[in-house]
Amino acid sequence: MGQVDGYALSLTNVSKSYGHVRALQNLSFSVAEGRFFVLFGPSSVGKTTTLRTIAGLVPPDRGRVEIFGKDWTHEPIAGRGVSMVFQSFALYPHLTVYENFAYPLVEAKLGREEIDRRVKETAAMLRLDTKLDRKPGTLSGGEQQRVALGRSLIRRPRVLLLDEPLTNLDAKLRHDMRAELKRLHRQFGLTIVYATPDELEALSMGEEIAVLRDGAVVQIGTPDELYETPRDVYVAGKIGSPHMNMIKGKLAPDGTTIESAIGTLRRKFNAAEAGEAAVIGIRPSDIRLAASGESGVAASIAMLEPLGDVTVVSVEAGGETLRMVLPESAASGLQPGQPASVVLDPGKFHVFRASSGQAIT
Amino acid sequence: MESGTSIWERMGFRKSSGVAEAGWGHTLVVAGVSFIYFLPVLFIIFTAIKPQALALSVPPTLSPTSLFGLIPDQFVFTPTLENFGSVFSRVMTAGGQPEPTGFDRFFFNSIVIASVSVLLALVLGTLAAYGFSRYPLKGNDTYLFIILTTRMLPAIVVIIPVILMFRAAGLSGSYLGIIMLYTAFNLAFTIWMMKSFFDELSPDVEDAARIDGSSEIKVFLKICLPQVIAGLAATFVFGLILTWNEFLFALLLTGPDTRTVPVAMNQAVSSGGRGTDWTLLAAIETLFLIPVFLVTFFLQEHLLRGVTFGTVRK
Repeated sequence: MGQVDGYALSLTNVSKSYGHVRALQNLSFSVAEGRFFVLFGPSSVGKTTTLRTIAGLVPPDRGRVEIFGKDWTHEPIAGRGVSMVFQSFALYPHLTVYENFAYPLVEAKLGREEIDRRVKETAAMLRLDTKLDRKPGTLSGGEQQRVALGRSLIRRPRVLLLDEPLTNLDAKLRHDMRAELKRLHRQFGLTIVYATPDELEALSMGEEIAVLRDGAVVQIGTPDELYETPRDVYVAGKIGSPHMNMIKGKLAPDGTTIESAIGTLRRKFNAAEAGEAAVIGIRPSDIRLAASGESGVAASIAMLEPLGDVTVVSVEAGGETLRMVLPESAASGLQPGQPASVVLDPGKFHVFRASSGQAIT
Repeated sequence: MESGTSIWERMGFRKSSGVAEAGWGHTLVVAGVSFIYFLPVLFIIFTAIKPQALALSVPPTLSPTSLFGLIPDQFVFTPTLENFGSVFSRVMTAGGQPEPTGFDRFFFNSIVIASVSVLLALVLGTLAAYGFSRYPLKGNDTYLFIILTTRMLPAIVVIIPVILMFRAAGLSGSYLGIIMLYTAFNLAFTIWMMKSFFDELSPDVEDAARIDGSSEIKVFLKICLPQVIAGLAATFVFGLILTWNEFLFALLLTGPDTRTVPVAMNQAVSSGGRGTDWTLLAAIETLFLIPVFLVTFFLQEHLLRGVTFGTVRK
């Protein structure tokens, strides 16, 4: 296999422009073999272009694409051992489910019996055995999705690319398919690169997540790393739901406090940064109501969003709106307009430079 | 072609559909309008099976059957197949023997010239359309526009330069010449039609095939082409109808050996100084109708899908 570094996939400084639009700008990341790797970011940040570059559909302008240690940058599509599920599923509409499954095997010139065996095996695995004679147009969205998945798995790729595969499904089906995909990942030990704009999908499925912005990677890490130590305001704002509260402030000269609209917050930082304008981020789950007798930030309750076992409570304090997540029991009895005193966990502050958005440690 | 569908089902008499959706009232209105459309054709067909003497009778005879006494006897004629025989062989000079008219040859010419040129245009035009759709040139639309300019003018306007070009190339009167000309004209139409069909296909599907290991040629043959079969059928039928009925170019650019039926028809009925032989004309027209009628009928299933193709896909 010749894999020196153990990476299934490695992109180095890949750039791609379409006319004046720069789709990818010095994009770099590596995916270890067997990893479930998520490309996360809103639409048109270059997720699809990245996948298409890996598949060989898009030749990069600059940079290098390696698959299992071999440079495939300017090589043809065939032979990469990469398959892809498209957002639109891209099933062959004129072929039956059986023929859709068989297509990659026929192109690989496998024997008829081997093809038949594998098609039936794949159909059984995806519970499509009874649909083999149907054309894709007569299937439900979930079935089409499974056909697309089966067609890309049937030739046993070493890397599977999934481009927003759940976007076109309804909510219930999405949940089921998330579980299904995780199961397939475990079962085959596949290396998966999964593009999604959905934070929940990214966090729940990704073993490693690359957050993309403007065709470049902002931060790569495990879901926990991205949640605990976001590198900048962009990542902090994208990961975590409800989104992180952002408060404008200024780092005080003493190196231990931050002046902000809601008062002075205690947080140690590098004294060299003193006087810098900053954004303080705090997650809604790191804010709570002050216990009786405890000193807190004076606020008034603006809105309640009950979500079953928890309630998202928005409070106004010093002109800033803060959202906090309270257990349903703690939120019951609260009324909009009512004054409240809230406590922000000082250990959970994320401090970012206001000018660049970069985290200050 | 689906197997197991009877001729009645093909004509729309499907057990499941019937008139359930629209109801009898609407169906009758549409049937009435269709009948008016069909009336000239019916008139020609009836004229073709009339005895020659009754062609211009007053009052006109209208029907070969009294429809169970519905139509008064003076409007009913006794049908005959004599006129069809006259198409291929008839007495040309007074008191002479029947002579072959050469119409077998003219029908052969029409079939060969129309089908070869339409099929040739279909092959070349489909390839070109795929190119225009998938690999756009700089100024793609300009070329498409230019291709269509020959169809923007009435044939009578472009006929003079075309005749000059044919004379210079020595193509007048040959099969090659008229087939090339019809192919060129059909190409414009084919490219525009097929490009719009290719434009509708999802490029993702083709990319999926590329990832599945298909070469560009296989992507075209195994993925794209099967998806536009309806378009091919529609283009073929419309092209065939236009070419089959073309008169002016055929009149000026075919010779005695390569003459097509529309031209020969014109000459057959106006020669001999006996005035127009209406029943003969009608018989030729009726025979002339059959090939296109059959082709259209058997491609109808694809045709209807072709027209509604864009609305079916997501």
